[in-house]
Amino acid sequence: MENSLQQLKAEAEEALCRISDKAGLEAFRVKYLGRKGLLSSTMKQLGSVAKEDRPRLGQLANTIKKGVEDLFADSKEKLESGGGAVAADMDLSLAGRTIGFGKCHPITQVMEEICAVFEGMGFAVAEGPDIETDYYNFEALNIPKHHPARDMHDTFYVSDSILLRTHTSPMQARIMEDRDPPLRYIAPGKVYRCDSDITHTPMFHQVEGFLVDRKVSFADLKGVLTAFTQRMFEGDLPLRFRPSFFPFTEPSAEVDIACVICSGKGCRVCKRTGWLEILGAGLIDPEVMTMVGYDPDEFSGFAFGLGVERIAMLKYGIDDIRLYYENDLRFLEQF
Amino acid sequence: MKFTLSWLSKYISTDGLDSAQLAERLTMLGLEVDVVEQLYAGLDDIVTARVISVKKHPNADRLTLCEVEVGDETVPTVPIVCGAPNVRAGLVTAIARPGSVLPGGHKIKKAKVRGEVSMGMLCSWKELGISEDHAGILELDSSIESGRSLKEVLELDDTMVEIDLTPNRPDCASVLGIAREVAGFTNQKIKPPVKEVPTLDGSGVDFTVTIEEPELCPRYAARKLTNVVIKPSPWWLQRQLLAVGMRPINNIVDITNFIMLEYGQPLHAFDFSTLAGKAIVVRCPRENEKTFTTLDDTERELDPATLMICDAEKPVAVAGVMGGLDSEVTETTTQVLLEAACFNPVSIRRTARTLNLPSEASYRFERGVDPDGVSNAMERAVQLMCELAEAQITANGVDEYPGQKELLQLPLRVQRVNELLGIDLTSEQVADYLRTIEFTVSGTDVLQVIIPSFRIDIEREIDLVEEIARLVGYNEIPTTLPSITMDYPQRDPLRQLRQDVVSVFTAQGFYEVINYSFVGDKHSDMMGLAEGDSRRKVVRLLNPLSEDQAVMRTMLLPGMLENIRRNINFQQSDIRMFEIGKVFKFVAEDAQPEERYQLCAVMSGQRYPSGGSLYFAGDRADIFDMKGAAENLFQSLRLEGTSGSIQFIADSKNQQPYSDPDTFIRIMDGDQQLGILSRISRKTARAFSLKQPVFFLELDLELLPQLPRIAKSFKRLARYPSIKRDIALLVPEVVPAGDVLEALIEQKNKNVVYADIFDVYTGKKMEKGMKSVALSVTYRSEEKTLDDATVDGFHNKLVNTLMSRFKGRYREG
Repeated sequence: MENSLQQLKAEAEEALCRISDKAGLEAFRVKYLGRKGLLSSTMKQLGSVAKEDRPRLGQLANTIKKGVEDLFADSKEKLESGGGAVAADMDLSLAGRTIGFGKCHPITQVMEEICAVFEGMGFAVAEGPDIETDYYNFEALNIPKHHPARDMHDTFYVSDSILLRTHTSPMQARIMEDRDPPLRYIAPGKVYRCDSDITHTPMFHQVEGFLVDRKVSFADLKGVLTAFTQRMFEGDLPLRFRPSFFPFTEPSAEVDIACVICSGKGCRVCKRTGWLEILGAGLIDPEVMTMVGYDPDEFSGFAFGLGVERIAMLKYGIDDIRLYYENDLRFLEQF
Repeated sequence: MKFTLSWLSKYISTDGLDSAQLAERLTMLGLEVDVVEQLYAGLDDIVTARVISVKKHPNADRLTLCEVEVGDETVPTVPIVCGAPNVRAGLVTAIARPGSVLPGGHKIKKAKVRGEVSMGMLCSWKELGISEDHAGILELDSSIESGRSLKEVLELDDTMVEIDLTPNRPDCASVLGIAREVAGFTNQKIKPPVKEVPTLDGSGVDFTVTIEEPELCPRYAARKLTNVVIKPSPWWLQRQLLAVGMRPINNIVDITNFIMLEYGQPLHAFDFSTLAGKAIVVRCPRENEKTFTTLDDTERELDPATLMICDAEKPVAVAGVMGGLDSEVTETTTQVLLEAACFNPVSIRRTARTLNLPSEASYRFERGVDPDGVSNAMERAVQLMCELAEAQITANGVDEYPGQKELLQLPLRVQRVNELLGIDLTSEQVADYLRTIEFTVSGTDVLQVIIPSFRIDIEREIDLVEEIARLVGYNEIPTTLPSITMDYPQRDPLRQLRQDVVSVFTAQGFYEVINYSFVGDKHSDMMGLAEGDSRRKVVRLLNPLSEDQAVMRTMLLPGMLENIRRNINFQQSDIRMFEIGKVFKFVAEDAQPEERYQLCAVMSGQRYPSGGSLYFAGDRADIFDMKGAAENLFQSLRLEGTSGSIQFIADSKNQQPYSDPDTFIRIMDGDQQLGILSRISRKTARAFSLKQPVFFLELDLELLPQLPRIAKSFKRLARYPSIKRDIALLVPEVVPAGDVLEALIEQKNKNVVYADIFDVYTGKKMEKGMKSVALSVTYRSEEKTLDDATVDGFHNKLVNTLMSRFKGRYREG
């Protein structure tokens, strides 16, 4: 009994393989699976086997019948859907079908990444007007009319007292004027300077940030900016702070990271110094504090500003800043 | 600020520091080194040579054939073809022999010049990159033997260092200033070139100095030198100036420039004979003094606030900025009046700006020059003039010093230093740091610090804190994180919305672009805006970089049309792009404009640009793609109108001059227009040289955060089956299919759970003037399973209503 079941299974499988048309399929069904087919009639013989063998053989017969039925169904489906022909036609090397997707501008990507790092540290985001008053862009930041530091800002003017902001730092004065410490803010946005060459565009993007509270120190500034650069450039990148000058911070610092192009060995991008300047920072100048009505002996704070274009250039190896604003799709799709 | 290592080492020893280490130390002290350059690196192969004989070139009038001794034992002389006018027998000059390379990259080879062999080239100063002088070949001292290295003979081997000086450190706009900083970290004292300075009391002087504006001129010293011989400076002085990029002129002018670089004190030399009344008056122009000719031979307009140096009658120099043409030292000058003065920084800066005349002198004065430094610089200049111009001093000098002040003394709280920097120094340590840079310090806890006069930037306690920070070294300060109260900042809804819009559009295949906020005026015309259109009222820049960036944009679309054109030019003609940016609305003169965030999206070319032509070949984008993108935005943001839904209304009125009249849709919240979508009109397309159809969406993002959002609220899933019925209606062609659907929904049959248009057909088979609109309607009840008869009842009623409303009928077959 057991042997004949196994033999039947083998015959059926072989027969199925040879079938190539519907008629053959129907003949197979009648021969094997029909009410009077071979499987049914074999199963009818179950009654005549020894009682103790019956459950085991019964189960085996059912398994074999189910197996043949499934194989039959598969062959039927294959035949009905065009059989082997489809499989040959279906060239799976072809690309998947998609309507495609677009991408954010690399500046937006990097700017959001910068904001996300600081937001993660509890900084709030504030944006201000692109067209500022001379007061907030300069005076409130300790840059009076005839200060030589105005040379560092090639300013576009709309009128004597209205200009295109040269940095997003005016938000520092605006927020401090409006609110009391503790404060933790970043101000992302577009800024403008009349300068245009391979490393300067007349419009670019900045993220300015500041923090004011009691007993905020230069060491804290170093801590926050170290955390930021390590997050932004992924890893324990060597970092250096060096003295600089900004009228609205003192002590002021510029922050360099080890050149991401040559790993600090010295190359064209880092002018062979091994270092790349990525941001300016410092403790908020007591003068700026006084102007917004804070007591500089009670509160201290730090501020920093960074250029988004530059960071994106370093992260992605972009060598011409003007590419950002040509909006060539061949450029945009790379990021 | 440029200097050379050889110059620096006159005042301080740099032993044990190579140029890279020096640069690193200076940079970390806040004097950022921009360039370290080995000077004249390309001149290693250039040697001295003596011209033995010269004869005319047989085939060229301007060339000569020379035999030149090059100090080579193997050849007594080499033949050289030379074109220099000053070549002559006996001249000692410089030669570049075959195989050597000139600084410009020109490689010297054995050559035939018009048929004559030339074994190298005799060089001019310019060809060697030493100066701009190209009048002839070098003329060296005739005692110099041939074949010596030119670099050695001229002592050219040096390193130039350039510092990017911050505005707060004018004291370091001098080589001595840099030397003082080096002295600080190498524990040395500088060797000043002048040790003793005479007191200038005016005795025996035959001229007068009057300061009429003491506020603008705190100090003015002058001395007269006689028997001056004007001639070129000696080589060492010329070399110093050339090495830092300054052009030698004559001995007197070179000395004033040299002292300015050495001490940071600008000087000016007048031809004394030109000074009327033997007088110097420091004053502002009189009413009749409208113009003045500076020594660059340019007539300049004066305003009444410009501080001038005058003689008894007229202005002779713009104080601290530039001398006058008429009082300039010339070849015939024999008497010089030497000025060493100090001027008000704001006044000088204003003048240099107004006259657009920045100079080395004004650079220093506007940042601040140490008034106490005047005497030393004057004495040094006088000594050099006596030495190099055979000048004589016949009398004492004049020194008017109305602005003389005590040295500034500042208290410094050591605890404050430690708190602000996050360090832990003792009073003694703080004092020691300050003493290394010549500050005088006494006391403990609260130190009393006397500031040397040359550090005019130190005025407050915080300035001293910064000094400590940089002397300690920023990198020695520890790194900590601030402890600050926790806070949950509010997010700006508009910023959030913009981020959401970005996601929706990038998901739909649009690339984000960013264009400049300023554009050209011509965009208004290209867009066809009417004369009175508010978008023509622009905010204009006073000092734009170009005409194309002269006004702040009032719309985003023109910039994106430029982007499309650019991409098409680079063979990218299947485009989906969007920009989120501000437009600027003029409010009033001298006021900040209104800034509004807008969205503009455009599409052109293939329907799915990045989907590949394999599956969607031939599908071109049309207005429905743009409409779909806009609908997706509202749906994805769950925005609805303030009363009812947001409507997309085809409107033949309220067109834009740049939109195609047949393809214009307004996006409305009641009466409020949120935006429009359309196709670019043919006229505007032509203006932007666009040949393919472009579809666009303009949306005012500022209006969206105020719109209500459809709350997320769960509805129970239906328990009973639904039944679907189709209707094919023949309606007059003019009836918008959307209206038919709208009318069906308006019936508000609560058993209609869904209705949609699945086909609109106008064609040959159709009766003239009619079209077929096929709708599919899904019925379902919340209470029971609907049977066919009930649904038929609903359906017939709906169909009948629609037919009578639109004068339609069933479509047969």
